[in-house]
Amino acid sequence: MAEPTTSGGPGADQLRQMMREMIAARVFSDRAFNLQRQGRAGTNAPVDGNEAVIVGTSHGLDPIKDWVLPQYRELVGLQRFGDEVIDRYTLYVMGHPGGGHLPEPIRVWPPQISLAAQIPHAVGLAWGMKLRGEDGVAVVFFGDGASSEGDFYEAGNFAGVLDAPVILLCVNNGWAISTPTSRQTAATSFADKAMAFGFPGVQVDGTDAVAMHEAVSAARERAVAGDGPTLIEAVTYRLAPHTTADDPTRYVPEDVLAEWRERDPLLTMRRQLEALDLWSDTDHEAAQADADERMELAVQRAEATPTPPDGFFDHVYSEPTARMQRQREGFNEHYGLTGGGAS
Amino acid sequence: MSTYEFRLPDVGEGLEEAEIIEWLVAPGDSIRRDQPMVEILTDKSQTELPAPTAGVVAAIHPEVGEIAKVGDLLIEIATDSDQPAPPAPPAPTAVPAEPQPASAPGPAAASSGVRPKASPAVRRRAREAGVDLSTVTGTGPGGRITDQDLVAARSAPGPVAGRATISTTPAPSTDAVGQMPIGEHPLRGIRRVTARAMENSWSIPHIHGMDEIDATNLLAGRAKIKELLRPAGDGLTPLAFLVTAVARALRRFPIMNASIDTEAGSITVHDRVDIGIAVASDDGLIVPVIRDADRRDLMDLATEISRLSAAARSRTIDVGELRNGTCTISNYGSLGGRFATPIIRSPEVAIVGFGAIRQRPFVVDGAVAARPTLPIATGADHRLIDGDVLTAFQEHIAGLLTHPVSLMVA
Amino acid sequence: MSDTQTMTMLEAINHTLHREMARDERVVVFGEDVGHNGGVFRATEGLYASFGEHRVVDTPLAEGVIAGAAVGLAAAGMVPVPEIQFLGFSYQAFHQVAGQIARLRYRSQGRFEAPITLRSPFGGGVRTPELHSDSLEAQLANIPGLKIVLPASAADAKGLLATSIRDPDPVMFLEPLRGYRAIRDEVPLGEHLVPFGQARRVTDGDDVVVFAWSYMVDVCRRAAQEVAAEGIGARVIDLRTLVPLDLEAIVQGVEDCGRAVVVQEAVETNGFASEIIALINDHALWSLEAPVARVSGYDAPYPVGQLEDRYVPDQGRIAAAIRATVASP
Repeated sequence: MAEPTTSGGPGADQLRQMMREMIAARVFSDRAFNLQRQGRAGTNAPVDGNEAVIVGTSHGLDPIKDWVLPQYRELVGLQRFGDEVIDRYTLYVMGHPGGGHLPEPIRVWPPQISLAAQIPHAVGLAWGMKLRGEDGVAVVFFGDGASSEGDFYEAGNFAGVLDAPVILLCVNNGWAISTPTSRQTAATSFADKAMAFGFPGVQVDGTDAVAMHEAVSAARERAVAGDGPTLIEAVTYRLAPHTTADDPTRYVPEDVLAEWRERDPLLTMRRQLEALDLWSDTDHEAAQADADERMELAVQRAEATPTPPDGFFDHVYSEPTARMQRQREGFNEHYGLTGGGAS
Repeated sequence: MSTYEFRLPDVGEGLEEAEIIEWLVAPGDSIRRDQPMVEILTDKSQTELPAPTAGVVAAIHPEVGEIAKVGDLLIEIATDSDQPAPPAPPAPTAVPAEPQPASAPGPAAASSGVRPKASPAVRRRAREAGVDLSTVTGTGPGGRITDQDLVAARSAPGPVAGRATISTTPAPSTDAVGQMPIGEHPLRGIRRVTARAMENSWSIPHIHGMDEIDATNLLAGRAKIKELLRPAGDGLTPLAFLVTAVARALRRFPIMNASIDTEAGSITVHDRVDIGIAVASDDGLIVPVIRDADRRDLMDLATEISRLSAAARSRTIDVGELRNGTCTISNYGSLGGRFATPIIRSPEVAIVGFGAIRQRPFVVDGAVAARPTLPIATGADHRLIDGDVLTAFQEHIAGLLTHPVSLMVA
Repeated sequence: MSDTQTMTMLEAINHTLHREMARDERVVVFGEDVGHNGGVFRATEGLYASFGEHRVVDTPLAEGVIAGAAVGLAAAGMVPVPEIQFLGFSYQAFHQVAGQIARLRYRSQGRFEAPITLRSPFGGGVRTPELHSDSLEAQLANIPGLKIVLPASAADAKGLLATSIRDPDPVMFLEPLRGYRAIRDEVPLGEHLVPFGQARRVTDGDDVVVFAWSYMVDVCRRAAQEVAAEGIGARVIDLRTLVPLDLEAIVQGVEDCGRAVVVQEAVETNGFASEIIALINDHALWSLEAPVARVSGYDAPYPVGQLEDRYVPDQGRIAAAIRATVASP
């Protein structure tokens, strides 16, 4: 692993911050999982194994200029983009409409359930930024499974044609629910698919946050310089079930999982920082305690946020149509509600 | 100190129950939030449930091996917090039914009088009755014309008719009888309804029996009752006696008080005696029905006959009073006729017609004498009624009317 | 100098695109063949020359990313005006239209909005190959979050397109293939906006009201002329926008006339005519003298060239429906 340097790689403070954020990501994710088991949240996807990918990437970006379009695991690790991200994510897993609303100035999109649909969005966004003369990039996360969708190919192709300042970040964690990557594609790697798009594809160790940071920073520089997109394949392994509704013991080989657990990004980062005397047990405990406290706050806030019963009528259009008004009135009358709401 | 009740949530997107595999905590244990409490087995997987709060385990409920349903109480945890335990996870609620579209008033619902509002069904009935809706006042919501409004419109002949007085001679003015302007007319309204009914009735194979009844005692009896009950007795028409006799005969010969349905393959012998009385109106024949004719006394019948006749003629009669008779009396005698072959009203199987009472030569004690005679003509559905039954039925009526005093015994 | 000019619908569309792009530098037009070629129907003629390669973009052949990129462009603050070459090809983009464009505001609870105007031609009568003529407005109207706009005149093409481009919500702007060159009328040259949810009365009459949209409006107009000679007063209403819908015009028409006919090119089952009749049931049943008649395409996929003329409603079929509805007792 690279020594802390004054140029290129992250300095000591940043490394420690990255460690804290990775720990927090795991803590937030574990809590969300437990909430589901307690009937207080809906289906959600644990982050285990992806922490370095997300946090390393996030530190390679500029939260003020750059955009992140997640798939659905990433929000717990995007603390750098806004303290409120975790509050919104908690609302989201609890099935509250406010969970989709990440307020300005947070440059993070809501989770995307229609896999790979976010990739054309990112390309369009990057294109728009370029048209407006903004010097940021759009980074879009998607999994090995999502890369099989048509949207990936259409968007990648278009990105190349446009020279859009976009980073396509394929998180290869070995599994798309129960489909291993060997059944997902016959290509030698996901990074290789960039050849079809006409821009570089690079494969990176996704368990190494510093390597991720380096790769994303380089891709960002390219994009901002006008040299176009990059496809980054971050290789890691899924260390937890796909979602709260999945039972991986049915298909994940125990021995392979055990091997990859040894390469748990949190473990890896911790060892590396300890070797540099940048991390201690106390730091670790404190980071966990802080994250636990922050998540507890998010849970309390979320559970205290009321949900207007007629809330699904809001934000369909900028102004509701006459018919929607009628329907809303009928709804409130039938259910004996006073109604109200935004637009 | 409060107690958190934790119930089995739906952990697997639509699960209904889970088996308890192992308890990882026991009553009295001090536990922290998210500590695994119990291992459960669902049909998707085996999984641990983490504690929703820190505290001390107060009680655990289902035992290892038991099947718990979603919503069942699993564990009670005593907590220090002053806050009440968070509410139990909401039980899966049934999907609420789609709210009905609000019956909003819509634009300019107020009746501007431009085009009348009425349901498609009312429009059809108005058309068939020849009523112009634009002349009808609607009393329904938003000025809509209802069925009631339609009936009222049909009964009001321009200026509001005064209360009909009890009439004893229910005959329409002879001036209008048989009149119709030259030219083509649409077959509509009551005439059309009647035409259709007649077509139905024509399919019945009729047999008719006829006779003449000596009405001397009938008229004398009637005069006596009128005298005794004066002035109320003034309303007592001979028709009330005829109805009584026919009703009695229908009880005596139930097969004459029936309906037949060859398609359904059934004969229904009715348990009640509801006799229709044909009334002539300007539009044609209307047949109001006297309910339970066999249970009314003469005065009651007289009043009822009068009421129904007046209502029929003034077209204020309720449609319900025109339905479901079990037998019909046609009193064409009130028009002056004597002998006729009355047509049965389907789905009934009999009709009794009476002609005008007139003085005629009658044989009494071997000599010819002048007697008031009452012609009777009975029609019966030969699919059900044979000649002997018809004759016996008619003879019974004749007997009752010849000697009305026999009405006093069952 | 006159303040109006006679234009075909196509010319009006082109004219409006030029105006809107000049008015608002955020407007970006993109799609297949829209740039150098000016569009396969020439709807975008001249835009590339006037506004350059950054604002008029020839995309690869990929409807999915055309629709999907519009989402991102909109979030970046641009006003995307993508084109899907034929509405039948929007099936290739449906997941982005229905699952993403329609929901961007909803999913983000207002953080992002999608002021996208997706233009696409449809409709029969021009001997196109398969999937070039299909009417999909009913399927699109079933997606909350979209606005559905169908001009039937050149003047409305301008007014409605301008309103669409300026609307903060996504608009499916559906253009009638046959109408591109066949429809010609006076178009105001200055600022001309037609609001959504406001129907247009094309002919006057009180015996029966005829509701239609897109190319069928003109066919209904001719049918109304035909029956006028027989003494039947048919009021033809161009609905213009299906979402939002001018319910008042529908109710008023039925209240005034008591009889109604709805005309659509689309497949009969579940076509938008069904929705209109349901609304008449909800709001104007008490004024109906006869069942509402529906004149539409048939329950078969849009057919090949040799068979298409009788598939879509023609003047004769519409006139017959008008007569039957008026004569219904």
